[in-house]
Amino acid sequence: MKYILLMTGTKAGVQGYLAWSQRDRDAHMGALQSMAKEMTASGEFVATQGLADPGEAKVVRGERNGLPATDGIFPESKEFLLGYWIVDVPTPERAYAIAARISTAPGPGGVPTNMPIEVRRFATHPESKS
Amino acid sequence: MKYILMMNTMKAGAGIPAWPRKDLQAHIAFMHSLNKELHESGEFVLAEGLSFPDQAKVVRAGKDGLPVTDGVFPESKEFLAGFWIVDVETPERAYAIAAKASAAPGPGGAPLNMPIEVRPIMSAPPPEML
Repeated sequence: MKYILLMTGTKAGVQGYLAWSQRDRDAHMGALQSMAKEMTASGEFVATQGLADPGEAKVVRGERNGLPATDGIFPESKEFLLGYWIVDVPTPERAYAIAARISTAPGPGGVPTNMPIEVRRFATHPESKS
Repeated sequence: MKYILMMNTMKAGAGIPAWPRKDLQAHIAFMHSLNKELHESGEFVLAEGLSFPDQAKVVRAGKDGLPVTDGVFPESKEFLAGFWIVDVETPERAYAIAAKASAAPGPGGAPLNMPIEVRPIMSAPPPEML
C-alpha cells in the first residue's frame, strides 16, 4: 500500500527554520537524507520532495476570459505543504513508524523537532501502479 | 520546472460519494482525460487521489521514538484530496493546467471551480534552506 507523509507548516514556521544555525540545519537535513537512504535500502522508498517557499504559492480557480484566475494572498495561519515522502509499505503501522522517524529529525541544539506528519493512504484508482 | 497541483478539501468535501452516479462518472472521466492529455504532452509526472480524511492520521514521535498517532481534526482543517505533479516550461503553464483541473464537472455537470494550490517543487532542499 502506498502512503504519502505530509510535512506541513505555516509561513512563520519557515521563517523560524531559516533562523536556525547552519550546524542545526546541516544536522536536520543530514538526518532526513539518511532516512531516505535507509528507506531506499529497505525497498519502501517511492519519492520525496521539498517544496519552494510558500511565498511562491498560488491558488488557481477556473478561468476568467480563458485565463487562469490566480490568487497569491494567504492568511498567516494557513498551513502549507513543506515537503513529502511517498512510501510503499505492507501496513499502516509501518507508515506511522516511518512518520515518527521523520518527526524525530533534530531541530535547534539537536533536540528532536517532534513535528507533526500527516499520513494518508493513496486511494486505489486505475492510474495507480500499486 | 516541476510543480505540484494540490486539490484541497474541507472534511465536508468528502461528500463526493453522495453525488449521483452519473455526475461522479463524468467527474472521473474528466480527470482521466486530463491525465491522458498531460501524458501526451509529456508534462505528466505523477497523479494520485488520496483516501478520505477519516483515514488520515497525524503522527508525532513520542518518547522512545515510537509513533503517537492522532486522528481527530478540526472541521476547519483542509485535507489534501489529490494531486498532480507536472513538468512544465513556465509557471503560467502550471496555472493553466490547474485552471483546467479546477473546472472539473460536479453535480449536474456544472464546473466545480475548486481551488487548486500550485507550488514549485525541487528534488533537493532549496539552497537557502541548507
